[in-house]
Amino acid sequence: MNVHSSEAVAKGISLRQMNKFYGAFHALKDLSLDVAPGEFLVLLGPSGCGKSTALRMIAGLESISTGTLMIGDRDVTEVLPKYRDIAMVFQSYALYPHKTVAENIGFPLKVAKMPKPEMEMAVRAAAEQVELGALLDRLPGQLSGGQRQRVALARAIVRRPSVFLMDEPLSNLDAKLRGNMRAELKHMQSTLGITTIYVTHDQIEAMTLAHRVAIMKDGELEQLGTPKEVYSDPETLFVAGFMGSPPMNFIEGSIKDEVFTGPGITLEAAGQGDCRQATLGVRPEDCTVVAAGEGQLDAMVYTLEMTGDQSLVTFRAGATPLVVKMPKDFEVAPDMDAGIAFAPMSACFFNLATGQRLRPTRGTR
Amino acid sequence: MSRGLFEPQKIGEMAPASKALLYTALVAWSLFVIFPIYWLLITSFKTPAAVNEGPFFIPWVDFQPSLHAWRELFVLDFEDTMRAYVNSIVISLSATALSVLVGSMAAYSLSRIEFAPNLITILYFVALLIGSSVAIGIYDADLWLTLAVAVALFFLLARAVGRLYTVRLGNGDILFWIISQRILAPIVVVVPIYMMFQSVRLLDTHIALILTYAVVNMPIVVWLMYDFFNSIPRDLEESAQLDGATMIMTFREIVLPLSRAGLSATTLLVMIFAWNEYLLALFLSTSRAQTLPILVAAMNAGERGILWWTMSVAIIIMIIPVVVLAVVLQKYISKGLLVGAVKG
Repeated sequence: MNVHSSEAVAKGISLRQMNKFYGAFHALKDLSLDVAPGEFLVLLGPSGCGKSTALRMIAGLESISTGTLMIGDRDVTEVLPKYRDIAMVFQSYALYPHKTVAENIGFPLKVAKMPKPEMEMAVRAAAEQVELGALLDRLPGQLSGGQRQRVALARAIVRRPSVFLMDEPLSNLDAKLRGNMRAELKHMQSTLGITTIYVTHDQIEAMTLAHRVAIMKDGELEQLGTPKEVYSDPETLFVAGFMGSPPMNFIEGSIKDEVFTGPGITLEAAGQGDCRQATLGVRPEDCTVVAAGEGQLDAMVYTLEMTGDQSLVTFRAGATPLVVKMPKDFEVAPDMDAGIAFAPMSACFFNLATGQRLRPTRGTR
Repeated sequence: MSRGLFEPQKIGEMAPASKALLYTALVAWSLFVIFPIYWLLITSFKTPAAVNEGPFFIPWVDFQPSLHAWRELFVLDFEDTMRAYVNSIVISLSATALSVLVGSMAAYSLSRIEFAPNLITILYFVALLIGSSVAIGIYDADLWLTLAVAVALFFLLARAVGRLYTVRLGNGDILFWIISQRILAPIVVVVPIYMMFQSVRLLDTHIALILTYAVVNMPIVVWLMYDFFNSIPRDLEESAQLDGATMIMTFREIVLPLSRAGLSATTLLVMIFAWNEYLLALFLSTSRAQTLPILVAAMNAGERGILWWTMSVAIIIMIIPVVVLAVVLQKYISKGLLVGAVKG
C-alpha cells in the first residue's frame, strides 16, 4: 500500500475492552478500537475524557487495568514500553535540555547501540526531513517553539517505529505555526506510512489530520468514524455539539405522531417514533436567513459577526442561541425579526434523555 | 540637564544618592565580614608576646611577623595536627558521600513513586521493636532468638494486622517524618548515641563519626533533593523509557546530569555541616578520631591559657578546604539548566 514504508512495516493496533481504574475512579470504560496499519487515528474529546490515559496505556506508561492491547499480532498488554516498538511525541516535547539537537534526535539510536557513523547518518536524515539540518549543535533552550517541536518529531521518526503516538503535539504553538505544522505532520505521516494515534481536544485538528476520528467522553467511546461521518452523521448529541465551529444548533421539544414540536417550530419528522424529550439539531451552514414567516422558525437577530470568509448571524429564540452561516457580504440589522430556513432532510433528532440519535424506524431517509 | 541627586541620570541606572548609599552599606558590610578573617591571618603570624601586648593590626609597622605559631603546629605538634586534619577530611568526605548517595536515592523515590504505607503496620513494627528491646535489655533474653521471633512475628502477622484498620500514610507524611528528625536539638540525642556506640565498642573511631554525621545530615539531603527532583519533568524520563533506555541508563543519562546543580549545592552544604561539627565529635571522639574543631577548641583550654596564635593557624587551615570546595562546586550551582526541556 505504502511504497515509502519499506524500512518498517506498519502495524495495526487493536484495543479490546480496555479499562483503567484509579482507585474507585473509572477513567477508561471498555474501550475497543481497531487501528489499521498505516492509519492516522485521532482520539478527540474534551479534557478529562480519558483520551490521554488511553494513549499512555498504549504507550505502556500506564498499566492496563483490564482488557487486551495488541500491536500487530502481538499481545503487548504486559510488555514494557521499550519493547513495544513505539515512539511518542509529548505535549511538552520532553527534549533533554542538556543534550544538543543531534544528541536528542540520536538518543533512541544511542540506546539501541547503533554504530556511530550509521547513527550520524540517520540523525542527519531525520533532521533534514524536518528541516533542522542547520541547528544540530544547538541546545533545546536556544530554539523556538516550532523548532523544538521539530526536534521532538525527528526524535520520533529517527528509529522508524511501527507506531507513532502523539499527545497534543501542536497545542503549545501559536495559531499560524500550528496550521503549518499540521500540514507537515499529515504529509510526513502519509509519506512514512506509520500507524499513528494522535490525541487532541481540537476538533479542527482532528478533522484535518485523521483518517478516522474516535470521539470520547467521560472515558467512553462516543463515535468512531471518518471525519465526514462524525461531522455529518453524528451518533450522539455530544458528538453533534462537539464537532463543528460554531457547533450545531439545538432546539428542544418533543416528537409525537411523526411531528416535532418545539418553541416556535413544528417540523415533520418522517418515520420517527414518539419521544417526549427530543432535540432537533441542524448545522449553521445548512440554514439560511429568510424574511420572517418564510422559514421553519422565526427569531430575533441578536448579532452579526463578520469573520472574513463568512457572516455568522446569531439569533435568540428563548434562551438558546441559534447560529446561521451566511455568505460574507450578507447584511442584516440587529433586533430585527427574521426567519430561519433549512432543508428538513438536514435536520437530525436526538433523544435528550439518553443523548442518542433518533433514527427513522420506518421508511427511507 | 541635571536631574538632581535623587533621580537617575539615565534610564536603567541608579540615582546618585541611592548609589552612594548602597555602596557605603556594601563596603561597611564587607569590612565587617572580612576584618575578623584579616585579624585571624595576622594573629597567626604573631609571637605570643605580640598578641599579649595589645591589639596590633599592621604587620611590619605594629609588630614583626613571625612563623612561631606555624612552626609550633606543623613542626613540634605535626603528628597531632595532621591526624586531626586527615580525620576531618576522611570523616566529612565519607559522611557527605554516604548521606548524599542514600539521601538522594530516597528523595528520588519519594518524588517518583506514590507510597501508601499502612500506619497500623508501622505501629505494629514499632511495638515489636520496643518489645524485643525490653526482652533483651531488661529480661536478658537471648539476642538472636528474640530477633528471630520478632522478625517471624512481623512477617507472619503484618498483613493481618494491617487489615484490622486501614490508615494510609502518603509521601508527604514520610517526608515530614524524615525532616522531623532535625527538630530535636543534637544535645538531646548525644547521650543515647554515645551509649549506643559504647555498647558496640566503636567510640573514638571513624566509623562512628561517619555514620552519625551521615544520618544527621540525611534529612537535609532528602528535603533539598526532593524539591530538586520534583522540578525535573517526568516527561523526560517517560520519553527516555519509550526510546528504549533502561532505568539505570535513564538515571545516568537524564536525571543525573540535570540534577548536578542540586547535588552540588547539597553536597557543599552537608560537607560544611560535617566539617564544622563540634558537639557530636566532642562526645564520640577522644584522641584517635579527633577532628579539627576539637583541636581548635582544645587550644582554648590549655594549661598555658588561650593559645590565640596557634588557634589562628588551626582555624586558617580549617577554612581553606571549605573555600576551595565552594569555588570548585560553584560553577555547577547555576540556574536555568532546565530551560528548553518543556514548552517555551
